[in-house]
Amino acid sequence: MSAYPQVLTKRMLEHPSDSNTISVYEETGGYGSARTALDMTRDELVEMVKSSGLIGRGGAGFSAGMKWSFLAPGRPSYLVVNADESEPGTFKDRQLLERDPHQMIEGIIITSVANEVHEAFIYIRGEYPKPARRVQRALAEAYEKSYLGKRIFGTDYDLDVTVHLGGGAYICGEETALINSLEGRRGEPRLKPPYFPAAKGLYMMPTIVNNVETVSNLPFIIEHGADAYKALGDEADTGTFLFSVSGHVAKPGNYELPRGITWRELIFDVAGGIRNGNGLKTWIPGGASAPWFVPSEHLDDPITREACGKAGSMLGSGAVIVMDDTTCVVRAAERVVRFFSHESCGQCTPCREGTTWEEQVLRRIEMGAGREVDADLLLDIADNISPGLVWPPKMTTICPLGPSSVSPITSITKYFKDEVMQHIHGGGCPFE
Amino acid sequence: MGGAPLSELVKVTVDGRELEVPKGKPVIDAAREAGVYIPHFCHHQRLEPVGMCRACLVELETPRGMVLTPSCTLFAADGQVVHTTTPVVKKAQEGVLEFLLINHPLDCPVCDKGGECPLQDQTVGYGPGESRFVEEKRHYEKPIPISDLVLLDRERCILCARCVRFADEVAGDPLIEFAARGNTTQIATFPDEPFSSYFSGNTVQICPVGALTAVPYRFRARPWDLKKAESTCHQCSAGESIEIDASQNDVLRFTGVDNDATNQGWLSDKCRFGFEYIGSKDRLRVPLIKNEDGTFREAEWAEALDLTARRLQEIVDASGGAAVAGLGGARGTNEDAYAFSKFMRSVIGSNHVDAQMDDGLNPRLLAAVDRKATIADLDTAGSIFVWGPDLKEESGTLYLRVRQAAQKRGVKLVVVHPRATGLDDCTTHKITYRPGQGPDVLRGLAASEGEYAAARAVLEGGPVVAIVGRTGVTEDPRLAESVAAFVSTLPEAKVLPFARRSNVYGALDMGMAPGLLPGRVALDDPDQVASFEAVFGAVPDHEGRGARGILEGLEGGELRALVMVGADPVRDVPDGALAARAFDAAEFVVALDLFLTDSSSRADVVFPAEAFAEKEGTTTNLEGRVQKVARIVAGPGQTQADWSTLEQIAHRMGTPMGFEDAASVSAEIARVAPAYRGLGWGDLRGDGVVVPRSEADQPLRYQPVDHSVGSVSAPFVLHYARTLYDDGVEMQHSLSLHHLASGAKAHLHPADAAELGVEEGDEVTVETVSGTASMTATIDASLVKGVVYVPFNQPGVPPLGRSLEVTVRKGVDG
Amino acid sequence: MSWTREALERAEAIIARYPQRRSALMPLLYIAMREDGYLTEDGMRQVAELTGLTPMQVDSVASFYGMFKVVPQGRYLISVCTSISCMLLGADAVMSSAEGEAGVPAGETDAEGIVTIEHVECIGACGGAPAVQVNYELVEGMTQESVVEMVRWLRETKPDVVRADELQEHFGGTRSFDPGVLEAQGAVGPYPAFDPYGTTGGGS
Repeated sequence: MSAYPQVLTKRMLEHPSDSNTISVYEETGGYGSARTALDMTRDELVEMVKSSGLIGRGGAGFSAGMKWSFLAPGRPSYLVVNADESEPGTFKDRQLLERDPHQMIEGIIITSVANEVHEAFIYIRGEYPKPARRVQRALAEAYEKSYLGKRIFGTDYDLDVTVHLGGGAYICGEETALINSLEGRRGEPRLKPPYFPAAKGLYMMPTIVNNVETVSNLPFIIEHGADAYKALGDEADTGTFLFSVSGHVAKPGNYELPRGITWRELIFDVAGGIRNGNGLKTWIPGGASAPWFVPSEHLDDPITREACGKAGSMLGSGAVIVMDDTTCVVRAAERVVRFFSHESCGQCTPCREGTTWEEQVLRRIEMGAGREVDADLLLDIADNISPGLVWPPKMTTICPLGPSSVSPITSITKYFKDEVMQHIHGGGCPFE
Repeated sequence: MGGAPLSELVKVTVDGRELEVPKGKPVIDAAREAGVYIPHFCHHQRLEPVGMCRACLVELETPRGMVLTPSCTLFAADGQVVHTTTPVVKKAQEGVLEFLLINHPLDCPVCDKGGECPLQDQTVGYGPGESRFVEEKRHYEKPIPISDLVLLDRERCILCARCVRFADEVAGDPLIEFAARGNTTQIATFPDEPFSSYFSGNTVQICPVGALTAVPYRFRARPWDLKKAESTCHQCSAGESIEIDASQNDVLRFTGVDNDATNQGWLSDKCRFGFEYIGSKDRLRVPLIKNEDGTFREAEWAEALDLTARRLQEIVDASGGAAVAGLGGARGTNEDAYAFSKFMRSVIGSNHVDAQMDDGLNPRLLAAVDRKATIADLDTAGSIFVWGPDLKEESGTLYLRVRQAAQKRGVKLVVVHPRATGLDDCTTHKITYRPGQGPDVLRGLAASEGEYAAARAVLEGGPVVAIVGRTGVTEDPRLAESVAAFVSTLPEAKVLPFARRSNVYGALDMGMAPGLLPGRVALDDPDQVASFEAVFGAVPDHEGRGARGILEGLEGGELRALVMVGADPVRDVPDGALAARAFDAAEFVVALDLFLTDSSSRADVVFPAEAFAEKEGTTTNLEGRVQKVARIVAGPGQTQADWSTLEQIAHRMGTPMGFEDAASVSAEIARVAPAYRGLGWGDLRGDGVVVPRSEADQPLRYQPVDHSVGSVSAPFVLHYARTLYDDGVEMQHSLSLHHLASGAKAHLHPADAAELGVEEGDEVTVETVSGTASMTATIDASLVKGVVYVPFNQPGVPPLGRSLEVTVRKGVDG
Repeated sequence: MSWTREALERAEAIIARYPQRRSALMPLLYIAMREDGYLTEDGMRQVAELTGLTPMQVDSVASFYGMFKVVPQGRYLISVCTSISCMLLGADAVMSSAEGEAGVPAGETDAEGIVTIEHVECIGACGGAPAVQVNYELVEGMTQESVVEMVRWLRETKPDVVRADELQEHFGGTRSFDPGVLEAQGAVGPYPAFDPYGTTGGGS
């Protein structure tokens, strides 16, 4: 099995064929934490989750307990679980949904009780019908046993959970866009302030939006306590973290690891090193929105939020995309920028027009029609989306999608400028 | 927006200057008022801010350093420090403008907006010198019609969403929306569901580029060629503030002016585009005299005036002034109406005058009701009560204001009407009833009985503002007054009695109603009458007839002659057949009109009249607000203002009225009409003046009376009400709008249709005691069973009169 | 309108699960797709009526999301991921092979109306790149050769139900993770097979 401590993937590794069923879930101690939570007060639950140091696993990395504590007093309050996993390189939530849906459901119960929620929604991206079916089946099992519905676990607490399928839009992973989508609107992000979900969320009521992996950690925390959870990692990065590793590694997949191991360990030990004996050229540490890392500078950095931030990038959704030395980085960058251009919601000028323009310039460079001025032009377009090209990024936009498109551009400019210029001067891709 | 009470002031520093600003006010507006302009596109003062275009970014000082934030969504709070001209801000502005221009086509030479284009202007002021974009711009088929009146050019569109937000938030017509996403986002309408909102023209005005253009104005002029004048809309009784644009003596365009008291910048499409009749080739240019054979011949003014004066004098000498009646005055200025009123009283000697067409309310209720509301009172009401016409059809301004109050200000709304109305989606309670049984509803509301108790409870939440009128022309006008009487029992209630036509309130204020003298004076008020006698000579003391009585009198011979000023009774009086018979029977009819209408063509002498925008003067709206109308073009041919024509007739009858120009008429009104005492044109700048300026100036304070109208019950009743577009004179000659009239359809409840064996689209015949008409049937589930709704005055349909009882049968009468 | 009674009942059941009617818009669009095979104008009108919106408001939302198809699709919608992780492992070649076998470029349907090929962005199967979906049922670890075989098989066999594990077994390669138990449910059309919306291929 794994050399590292397991919270989220324990059951699915130990019960490969039926980890998603309620019988196995309960055999392995499941739904005990839900019962415990129903006996705790909101303050106790919030305090416990805060001190566990659990941070959001969707990419933003905000303290879950603190998010809960911001919940405004108006009622009804709502919980929306963000299962819109669409960040390129990320596929960990899919595994959690398919292989251990009850873990998430128990986490939903705990989150709901803590936030006085009686109607919760699981927003699953439309391209995940199989995970949605698995979740729906698990919900049916939970309803059957009165763990959901009216008077759950014999208390007078009611809780309904509804699965809602997305329609194929990455931007709906942004929490306010997700809420808009759930309301039956275009998935456009809202202005924050004033539309912080904890204050004005779903139907303008206080709403908690949490990622699948985040809530899936809650049964462990309630059962074993905040300290035990902290002990799995360290003070700054508590608990474990699911990494989705993909690209040119020998063993792509989801790996549950504590923070603190190095990138070298992750790429070469856990993920089996680079395929075909090739060399490591560069990798994206935290999903397509993250600036890139290079072996010469980052291979021996510890994988922690702090180290990542200091190095000018982020852990984000935990998606690690590895590129070996057969990769044309200009082509890779163009592919990432194209993603953001396709997925822009179109509301605000810099993102809608800027990501398109970035894509067009990059494509020209990649195809060999780049001009001398295009390298600087690309940076200036990027600068008009994310002023100063700093990290964490500043934005001229409504949401971070626009600035995310800047990451591949600043990365190839910083680390692979020569390759960019080779395309321009050489009139084509040197890797072709 | 903001949400905090605007009365608290906070200190906001903008570019080093400390400003005192109402808390919650958007900083972009506060800055502009302090002389600091921040570029913007999606921001509009009358729309909720969305922060989408990003052109208004400013730097805000925060504990974490300077933060770029849109100033349209930054609401003033104490201690804010904002910078609008730093290098970071300037780079952001240039960046946004460059981004907006990369896909914007170089259409300026052929684009209507050029010369009055915020994108042009702000690019010059805040944009980069040139674009660095060398890629292919996105392309769309252009322009495409999205309605009969509006064209869309998607290449020009900068996706600011002003049009979408206006249509949804303000007009309540979400027919135009964004489609697709990202850089393929575009404005769209649904196939076969065009943007046929009554307010579509507003989107053309607020579009910051030339993406939306108006069919009546497209390619007609360049802004720098236009002569402009501020004026007041004359189409409906709300008196919206407009700017008239003209070139080469042609009126080309109306635009809405933001007057917070009335229209807040918006206009219905009828108000906005309904000016084309002014320049119509069919305008009367010279006087006409009827030949023996019934045709007209052109005549000199002198001949026509002499003939008119002689004939009228003969009749007055033989039968007294009371043998002559006057109809009209509602479509002109106050000066025209005053001259008409004075002419009929002092020159002819008759009290048979009416500016309404038997389709309105008690003139005292309209002109002089006690505790009259203003439009702005709707904003601060606790609850609004609407029992009258569908405001969306008859008063766009009131409709928009009530909608805004209900949707944005949390004001409760109760609507009573025989079928669906444009406000139904924002009512707290909607009561649908059978015409004729309104009295039962009123009784139920007053007593808070049964199904009406909930609605009544809402009306206990004062202050109550009530809009009261006739729901249709078959309804007893006394019912509306009884409703007004009920309203006066509600907490802090104010009332707006509603009549639709143009300057009818001005005309009534000038005494164009039986029983009223100018300035809201009752004919049975001896002191006031005495002071009028000083000016008018004698004031006749016989009982005056209203429109219906006048027409019956002409038909029966008790009245011998009719003076008509800007009126079309054959079309506007519900019992149009009666009007036609009256004209046939009358001995002498003189008409002052713009066109040969179904009425003026029956006259003996027709004088060509000046239209709106061709004469200066004042008008009065339903609040009693007096506003100025401007002259910007000269009338065609030998047209003259109504007051001028009447003066010349009076002169030839030996009783000149003493008017030399519009100003002299106005001066006399200010001397003589109590409610208008001392009112000069100079007082009317800004948003005009609501008269009377002092309580003491209005002798008549009318208390609405509960007439205890009885219910009328019949197997089938007729709801006969106006739609915005119909076959009225001005509509007929406004070619962009005329074909938009809905056409006559008989709206039937599904159960009635089933019983009659009628399906959607079948032909049916509708018959009343006054008339018969065949038309297509349509199913309308919003009616109560036993009611048929027919839109009033539609092209090609004979009038059905004003009685409630009606029969409907399948098929066309052979 | 033309929806079956079953569809309308399902629609009402879905509407009842949300505090506000408008939230049911997206699920109802999937029902509309099932009723007509794709999202028609009439389908949008029906959804508008059920949710109390105008047809354009429905269209505005539907056209925002890539999965609501407003033109008829082939029986099998083959979505080829060409995002970064799949691209790194050869997705572009998989795409051109699929286009070649189907005889149409991405975005179009073959002449017989059986197969539609499309580009999609990341479908969350990066561990099994290159990844492909057939009617949103996932097949991971595709190669140029295996995708050609799969397209050919689909066109010849025309299965009523598309089952991911079946396709994976015959045409797929490495998966992102161990699936645990295999599934019998699958898709019956070019819309996600999710039972509450009535779009599954039965079984469990």
